[in-house]
Amino acid sequence: MEAQRPVLYRIAYAWCHDPALADDLVQEAMAKAWARRAQLREEAALKAWMVSIMNHCWLDYLRGQREFDDIEQMHDTLESAGDSPEVCCNREQVIACVRAAVARLPMGQRQVLTLVDLEEFGYAEVAEILEIPVGTVMSRLSRARASLKLMLDQAAKRHGAQPMLRRVK
Amino acid sequence: MNPTAISDETLHAFVDGQLDIADSEALIACLRADQALAQRVCSLRSLKSMVRLAHAEPPPATGALPRPSRIRPRLQRLQRCAVGCLVLLAGLIAGWGLRGGVEAETHAQTPLTALDGYQPVSLAQQPDPNRIVLHLDSDDPTRMAAVLDRAEALLDEADRQGRAIELEVVANSHGINLMRAGVSPHAARIARMTQRHANLHLVACSQTIARFTGQGQKVELLPVAQAAPTAIGEIVSRLQQGWTYVKV
Repeated sequence: MEAQRPVLYRIAYAWCHDPALADDLVQEAMAKAWARRAQLREEAALKAWMVSIMNHCWLDYLRGQREFDDIEQMHDTLESAGDSPEVCCNREQVIACVRAAVARLPMGQRQVLTLVDLEEFGYAEVAEILEIPVGTVMSRLSRARASLKLMLDQAAKRHGAQPMLRRVK
Repeated sequence: MNPTAISDETLHAFVDGQLDIADSEALIACLRADQALAQRVCSLRSLKSMVRLAHAEPPPATGALPRPSRIRPRLQRLQRCAVGCLVLLAGLIAGWGLRGGVEAETHAQTPLTALDGYQPVSLAQQPDPNRIVLHLDSDDPTRMAAVLDRAEALLDEADRQGRAIELEVVANSHGINLMRAGVSPHAARIARMTQRHANLHLVACSQTIARFTGQGQKVELLPVAQAAPTAIGEIVSRLQQGWTYVKV
């Protein structure tokens, strides 16, 4: 279970872009996972199961933050606070730039994108973890990547900066 | 598969490895014929790599200022102690169980005949024969030719066996000469290979390019080659994703 800690932290950070909050989420998820370890049927599903628990912790946290808001609505609208991607320009800052762009994605899209790209979960696994249909996973992923590309292209164009991966010619 | 009718969702599923083999092969055939489609796939792959690299090493939580926990502060301390103790115990047990096994796991032999004479490295128990990164750091003519020979052998072998593979050649130091326009002795061969195999990618190290540029050399990559921030970062992230690494 402990071996999953860096994985969970990476995901939590990609969701909230706040190291302290990410650490809390991981801690809470690990404590809950330990308490419910009897419910885990297959060892192989450990990672997905723990991410799913962390997703519930994250939703609980968001509910606590905005008690009167509709959580479903937030999936489509919530953006992290922080710099817009346009702020960052040179190559040393590209990592920060990509993080900023990811942080500006609506939360539902951000979760799908990070689970697929960072942890290489299959679409079916992501659907199970987030408790949404596979079609929603695919459409959110598609929208997330389209917005991300647009934001990064705009940032690169505005500053004439090099994107991190580029064709040199 | 009609190239004009290929949806974004299908391309996303392809780069995420979610298409079955038949659909993947049909799409690869389209990619060979359609430059614009190949460009869309290339751009999706770049985006995916950028997201992954940007989050590969999140800032550590330990550097944060002391603050009241935002999640159930009353339980936090107790939970931390309990989990910490359990984790320590689990770590000790796992560490004892794994002793001596690391060497065998990280240097296991792949069954790939195309890699005879080379030492594949993988973080997985069994090296993945379908995702391979070949690393070149020299402009020694025999090694430059060898990396292309290996790549071609691997791609042909996969074609014959009907496997969908991903192959990446990563070059740094003088190895990037293989991918420099006007410098590479194998430009025509590389163009032919990438034309034939849409699943072959060439990645050059930006730090090396910057160093060469700093020395007054003009570095232009072949149109099919991409630049990554660092070769080592690229290799490490591929290894973390389960790819098999081979130094040529």
